[in-house]
Amino acid sequence: MRNETMIKKARNLLLALLLALLPIAAQSGPSGQALAFTCAGCHGTDGSSVGPSSPSIAAMDPDVFIDAMDAYKRDQRNSTIMNRIAKGYTDEQIKAMAWFFAKQKLRLHVQKTDQQLVELGKQLHDTHCEKCHEEGGRAGDSGTLAGQWIPYLDFSMQDFIEGRRPYPRKMKRKVDAAIEEQGEQAMPALIHYYGSKH
Amino acid sequence: MTILGETPPPGFDPVTGKRIIPNKRCLKCHGDAHEKTDTRDDGSIVDIYADPEIIKDSVHGEQACTNCHATIDRVPHRQSPEVVVGCVECHRETWDMHRNDPDEKYERLGVVMETIDAYYDSIHALPNKHDQSETNATCYDCHDAHNVGTLGSHQRDDHRLKNPEVCGECHREQLNNYRESVHGRAVLEEGDSESAVCSDCHTTHQIASPGTDQAKLAITKNCGDCHEEAQRTYFDSYHGQVHRLGYTNTAKCHDCHGSHEIKGEDDPTSEIHPSNRLENCRVCHENANDNFLTFWPHGDADDREKYPGLWFFKMFMQILILSVMAFFWVHVVLWLYREVMDRIQGKGFIEDLSRPDVVYFRRFPVVWTWIHALFAIATMTLILTGTTLLFSHTGWAKAVVVFLGGPEMEGVIHRTAAVIWLGIFLAHLTIAINNIWRNRGSFKWFGSTSMLPNWKDWEDLKSMFRWFLGRGERPEFTHWTYWQKFDYWAPFWGAAVIGSSGIMLFAPEATAIILPGWMFNIATLVHAEEALLAAIFLNSVHFFNVHFRPERFPMSTTIFTGKIPIEEFKHDHRLEYDRLVESGELDRHLVRRPSRRADLAASFITTVLIMSGLALLTLVLIGVMTKPI
Repeated sequence: MRNETMIKKARNLLLALLLALLPIAAQSGPSGQALAFTCAGCHGTDGSSVGPSSPSIAAMDPDVFIDAMDAYKRDQRNSTIMNRIAKGYTDEQIKAMAWFFAKQKLRLHVQKTDQQLVELGKQLHDTHCEKCHEEGGRAGDSGTLAGQWIPYLDFSMQDFIEGRRPYPRKMKRKVDAAIEEQGEQAMPALIHYYGSKH
Repeated sequence: MTILGETPPPGFDPVTGKRIIPNKRCLKCHGDAHEKTDTRDDGSIVDIYADPEIIKDSVHGEQACTNCHATIDRVPHRQSPEVVVGCVECHRETWDMHRNDPDEKYERLGVVMETIDAYYDSIHALPNKHDQSETNATCYDCHDAHNVGTLGSHQRDDHRLKNPEVCGECHREQLNNYRESVHGRAVLEEGDSESAVCSDCHTTHQIASPGTDQAKLAITKNCGDCHEEAQRTYFDSYHGQVHRLGYTNTAKCHDCHGSHEIKGEDDPTSEIHPSNRLENCRVCHENANDNFLTFWPHGDADDREKYPGLWFFKMFMQILILSVMAFFWVHVVLWLYREVMDRIQGKGFIEDLSRPDVVYFRRFPVVWTWIHALFAIATMTLILTGTTLLFSHTGWAKAVVVFLGGPEMEGVIHRTAAVIWLGIFLAHLTIAINNIWRNRGSFKWFGSTSMLPNWKDWEDLKSMFRWFLGRGERPEFTHWTYWQKFDYWAPFWGAAVIGSSGIMLFAPEATAIILPGWMFNIATLVHAEEALLAAIFLNSVHFFNVHFRPERFPMSTTIFTGKIPIEEFKHDHRLEYDRLVESGELDRHLVRRPSRRADLAASFITTVLIMSGLALLTLVLIGVMTKPI
């Protein structure tokens, strides 16, 4: 009788210990926030970039973040080092970072822009781009354009146009239409327009 | 929900982590009236427009787009999205939640549940022949869910007028035919929402393959929702009677009028235009000749102006039925009253228990016994099978036809019984004429055993009424009383009317060689009316006179034993009895009482026939009383 009680007590204690350890086991890896800190070197503190060639990823739409990381992992997107970095993360870790950055406030810097180009860019944006890149290209499910560094925008567009990055069919159609409308001015105009946002 | 300590960002569901897509985001592209289409990868154009105002105004106006378009998780869509909308599940869940909700706005959801069930039983819910993974049609193929209105709303009016176009998306040939029809012109050209659209005939959800009985019956019923008069007169015809029993082997509305391409009588391309009509008749009546064209498919015996002949025959038959029945029912009631009164006073014919019947009078030879038995069975069979058509509106008629194996089998039985009936009638005539011929030397046309009515019958009738009213003695009769003579002669009239009309209807194509088509209308009418008279008369008046009056109750078996107790004969046929005694002929007619077995057999068959007759009378009266006017 007494033995049985002892056994039960021991069993319950073991169960309690196991339960107490479970969350630790589950969170044994670094948190999403901790993982995200390592991005600061290039993408700035909490994802607001200070350099001309790395984009800001603060407030980025999490699915756009995940798509980008997946594309780097599979070498489908032109990169310098991101394809090597991306391969080091699990899907879960990428999603956790995506959620972390999505919640960060995007801090923008004033860039030097050509006012004429900005105005032309606005006009082109409103006609061709606004439906997908809502509110002048603010962060959304089509990526973040507003306030990105002009050189980054420029490289990215070249990647699209020159086939180094998967070019969405609809986007190509719209870009082609903008170029047809305004010729060589079209791309600089749009880039200056987005770069003018802060 | 958390992943590595991170919770979902704003714009994502905190519990499921799924993206929340506001309707505004969807309508940015889909609500742009300037760009209503998009181009697919394969270059085809797709309509992507959904009018935001219409959505707002619909019953689904408050719903999030993604509640129905549940597969959409990214905007802009990364790939051409699959349009998968699950209407049923959502409606079921909502109904389960609000089933007992007193708020009236949820009431309609119950109807939606019924229509869902009906849809699942319909041909539209079956797998598509060309692609088994798809149904033939699903909710949103017909319902424009962005524009669903409540009962009586303007959306419903719009849908009604659009109905042919919606169905025509798949049923193109039918739509093209419909466009040419009177219905199609009214709806599509004049915007007349009162005229028939697809769903008026085919129903909305219980749609069956047009080859099925279910569809044919539904379509004919639905035509009648607008064309009430046409349906009423159709149901009076043989075509309609069979149809109303639930069978589709006779002509239905669309067999003669056409279906989608239906047009007026005056249109030369109409199926009912006189120059095209015969072709329709010949689908069933292969050898139909021009006389078929004079048949009135919607002949109305109540329409004196249009069908005076039919009207006259109906009036004549109804007056006949009413006067015969009125006279004889009064006769029955007064007779019953008199015999009951006599019985109370200890008068009338009472069996003397101390002197049991031993001596009997031979009233019928064996041949008449057989003739009467066969005649009775044939008549009852004819009544049963015939009245199912006349009273095709009743439940019993439908059950009887199912029991007999359908209208074709019923037709075979009816015609067989009719041949037997006429055969017996002719056999009887032959025997009777032969008897007269053999006794031509001594036969007296108005002798005491003659069936011919005479002046005494008239006197007897008057005396009977005096006796009924207590103003005289019961008259004394010869070998046959006047009511027996009436029973005897009535079938001659019946045979003439029912027989001749029946023969005409027996083989329509042969009849039409010599008679015009409208004779079928008259034949159908008088055949039914005369049969009705016979059915009611035989099973009430004849039964009372022979079996149910107190002196005879519960029955007389004389017709089957051929013998009547001598005391009873003396009471009912006193004059003949006296004549036979006087002439010394009585002994020649006296016989021993029937054997116990013969007596039981006669009682048995009489009981069966009486019970059958009463059952038929009940069915007929149910039919008469419930017949739609």
